Amino acid sequence: MRESLALIIKVAFRNLWLYRLKSTVIAGLLCMGSFIGIVGLSLLHDVEHSMQDSIISSVAGHLQAYSSKAKDDLALFGGAFMGRADVGTIPNLASLRDVVKQNTNVADFIPMGSDMAMLGRGNELDETLTSLRGALKKGETDIIAQRKDELKFLFLQLERELTERAKLSADKELMDRYRADLNHALEPDFLGTLNALDEEKLLFLDTHIAPISGEKQPIYLMYLGTDIQLFKQNFPKFKLVEGEPLGPGQRGILISYKVRETQLKAVVARLFDELKKRIDRVRVPIKGDVENERAAADLPKQYQQILSSLDRHKADVLSEFLKSIGIKPKSAELITGLKEQLQEFLQVDDTNFQERYKQFYAQIAPKMKLYEISPGETIVLRSYTKSGYLKSVPLKVFGVYTFEGLEDSDLAGVMNITDLITFRELYGEMNEESKKELEAMRVASSTVVTDAAGAEDALFGAGASASVPSVDTHPVETKTDSKKKEILHIKPVISDVFPESEIQKGLALNGAIRLKDGSKIKETRAELNKLLKEAGIEAKLVDWQEATGIVGQFANIVRLVLIFALGVIFLVALVIINNSIIVGTLNRTKEIGTMRAIGAQKSFVLGLFLAETAITGLIGSIIGATLATVFLFTLHIKGIPAPNDIVSFLFSGPRLYPTLQWNLVMTTPFVVSLVATIASIYAARHAAHVKPAEAMQEKE
Amino acid sequence: MSQAVTIEHVSKVYPLGSTEVQALRDIHLSFDTGEFTTVAGPSGCGKSTLLNLIGCMDTPSRGEVYIEGQPISKLGDKELTRLRLDKLGFIFQSFNLIPVLTVFQNIEFPLLIQGGFTSKERSDRVRELMEEVGLSAQAKQKSNALSGGQRQRVAIARALVTRPRIVLADEPTANLDSATGERIIDLMKAVNQSHKTTFIFSTHDPLVMKHATRIIRLRDGEVLEG
Ligand SMILES: Nc1ncnc2c1ncn2[C@@H]1O[C@H](COP(=O)(O)OP(=O)(O)O)[C@@H](O)[C@H]1O
Ligand SMILES: [Mg+2]
Repeated sequence: MRESLALIIKVAFRNLWLYRLKSTVIAGLLCMGSFIGIVGLSLLHDVEHSMQDSIISSVAGHLQAYSSKAKDDLALFGGAFMGRADVGTIPNLASLRDVVKQNTNVADFIPMGSDMAMLGRGNELDETLTSLRGALKKGETDIIAQRKDELKFLFLQLERELTERAKLSADKELMDRYRADLNHALEPDFLGTLNALDEEKLLFLDTHIAPISGEKQPIYLMYLGTDIQLFKQNFPKFKLVEGEPLGPGQRGILISYKVRETQLKAVVARLFDELKKRIDRVRVPIKGDVENERAAADLPKQYQQILSSLDRHKADVLSEFLKSIGIKPKSAELITGLKEQLQEFLQVDDTNFQERYKQFYAQIAPKMKLYEISPGETIVLRSYTKSGYLKSVPLKVFGVYTFEGLEDSDLAGVMNITDLITFRELYGEMNEESKKELEAMRVASSTVVTDAAGAEDALFGAGASASVPSVDTHPVETKTDSKKKEILHIKPVISDVFPESEIQKGLALNGAIRLKDGSKIKETRAELNKLLKEAGIEAKLVDWQEATGIVGQFANIVRLVLIFALGVIFLVALVIINNSIIVGTLNRTKEIGTMRAIGAQKSFVLGLFLAETAITGLIGSIIGATLATVFLFTLHIKGIPAPNDIVSFLFSGPRLYPTLQWNLVMTTPFVVSLVATIASIYAARHAAHVKPAEAMQEKE
Repeated sequence: MSQAVTIEHVSKVYPLGSTEVQALRDIHLSFDTGEFTTVAGPSGCGKSTLLNLIGCMDTPSRGEVYIEGQPISKLGDKELTRLRLDKLGFIFQSFNLIPVLTVFQNIEFPLLIQGGFTSKERSDRVRELMEEVGLSAQAKQKSNALSGGQRQRVAIARALVTRPRIVLADEPTANLDSATGERIIDLMKAVNQSHKTTFIFSTHDPLVMKHATRIIRLRDGEVLEG
């Protein structure tokens, strides 16, 4: 037996050598298959782990619990962008938490609720007026002229808007009044003679013109209300990059670094950033790239944004700086000259971009308001509550946060983090004070409150006229409330602090569950489901993969694609192997017949052909595995750069350093040759059926 | 003397398209141990068919073949193969060496299939036979580097290495020039004498025929004499 095995192998080797071209093709295919298999599965394994790390350690936890009455699936990173998903509510998070925490593998339960809100952005006319007032006070003639130009531009814009609005509006009287006011402001004399602190004119602009204009285009912000202390403890990737942390019991918001960089940054800076990233990271030059060329063409148009945030002194310093780098003004007048200088400065191409980028951030950015929101400021978030009313909540910005290693990722960092109390407020949940106030009002006006929506209606409807700042039923577009300034001095209904006990109970939408042993997700989930059922709590559990929708499924999708590709390679290899055995059988009929005639059993012939495949397979796949090892080792040292934001999320950082998986490297060659060998059984049996009498055939 | 091969009323019919070819008709023969017999006759008379049946590579359409008294019609492929391996040796017209193996390995081949020998035992037997057929110097050569006569000597050594009781040779000299052919027959004769091996070989060459101790003449599938 041993001898015949040795003989088979010996003969097999010789045959492989005799038919080396064919053997090389088969070995090459199996080499490629092994290489792709090992590299693909290794990378997939790494990506899956890093992605799992990204997701679990940033916001999802191992499991997520949410209402079993939810109409939509919970999608932490997607889905909600398109509209507001209805994931139901957890009316009492305390009871859910208590049940969940009974399981010994549960490390923590972090209540959450996320939704979308609009950022109130104020009125451009108001801002320009404030700036003009300052310039008038200081007597800065250039700036005054500059602001007046801006005002005139805004008036003309308003005039056009008003024409459109008049067509739709039923309130003809109001429209006529607006037009009369606007015409008055547009008279050449009006702005032309406004060179000193003329309170009468300024008041007219404040009270008659400013209210005509609407707010700037609103920005939509995703926010995630949670117990921030718990959040920090359980999501190690959370990192504050600017400002201060939100302490226990404090109401406020932490802005996402990514959101701030991409949505709340001055356009001019964003264009610089965008170009820098594409040039350095994606390595496409400006010239010839449509996206880059568009950004470069947009840049010079942004001079206005820089100009409007400068006072005379800063403008002077900047103009001098631009002169020092060889950009000279054509006009003698400071502002006009600076405008020309900036237009020239913002003209970038592949030769000057890196330098201009540096100069912009060193000299210009510090002089302007770079971000719409910065720590220390107070913003107003508006959202439509469940019952359809618009609610405004003032909120202090404490800091800017990011998820470590995921700074560039669009997926993990789109949520701005706030406290659960603010979330409930925006979501429409009433706090104790709101309820009490409502109660007081109800008694006062003896309104019969029949349902929650009606109650809110009563509260908010009355609220506007009763000067309650936290609630505001005015539509965003028109603002006729001239009492706005007084209102701001009234103490808001929602306090800036809250007793911590309030976030231990009450409403949440979902909750993240961190496990002690992350490898037991399935088991723990089953145990928790049982506990929830026993306790009669209407909540369901999803794992981090399900909770993150398509993103979580990414690894599975890639795995399918990879397996499909490997399958195709193997199919091709197997067809070639079988084909070559059948052709080989025809060529070697006499040889096989001879072996059979002089006493070799069918099994010997079968073994011979299988051995040929197995040896070819082993040689090919061992070479493939070796190449894969070398390749992965090189990548392990160099790292694979993430070409874009989504990939950097999958990599859990800007580069992926693949790990070598020895068990994969060791087993793949055997699996590959085994599969190839098994698949060649059919053709080998065909060879074994050659009759011994075939030895007699006379053709050589 | 005991009988090496007995053939009783054997007929062989080959299907040929929609008709049949009667290759052998009611053959009745027996071969004694140690005989040096030739089966002679023109091409197509059924020599190969007869040797295939004796060689257990095919089964008769009718009748029975006995190898040392054992009827072969009841045997399955495995047993027939084993029988060929243990009791029979084969020499072919076109030598049929395994091209990828050396002279030594070709001769050793049946011993390896048979199993149960130490490598020294194998080597001794192979060397002995190589000497006997005069090929000791060519042990490490690939078979395709040899002349026709040398190849047939390797084939003879291979046929003898398992010490078979019967050696069958279907036109062993047909692909050789007459001088070489004669020397091959002389070698077979010598082996027949020294090992007492039964030899049955076919030929249509009268020069070769005359070396045989017994001549069986076939014509159209029937025995004319013998
Ligand atoms: N496998 C086969 N199929 C059909 N006919 C065959 C086959 N083998 C031999 N024959 C026929 O049987 C007859 C005897 O052939 P064969 O034994 O090869 O003769 P010989 O060896 O004497 O030349 C011939 O007519 C031949 O055509
Ligand atoms: Mg013949």
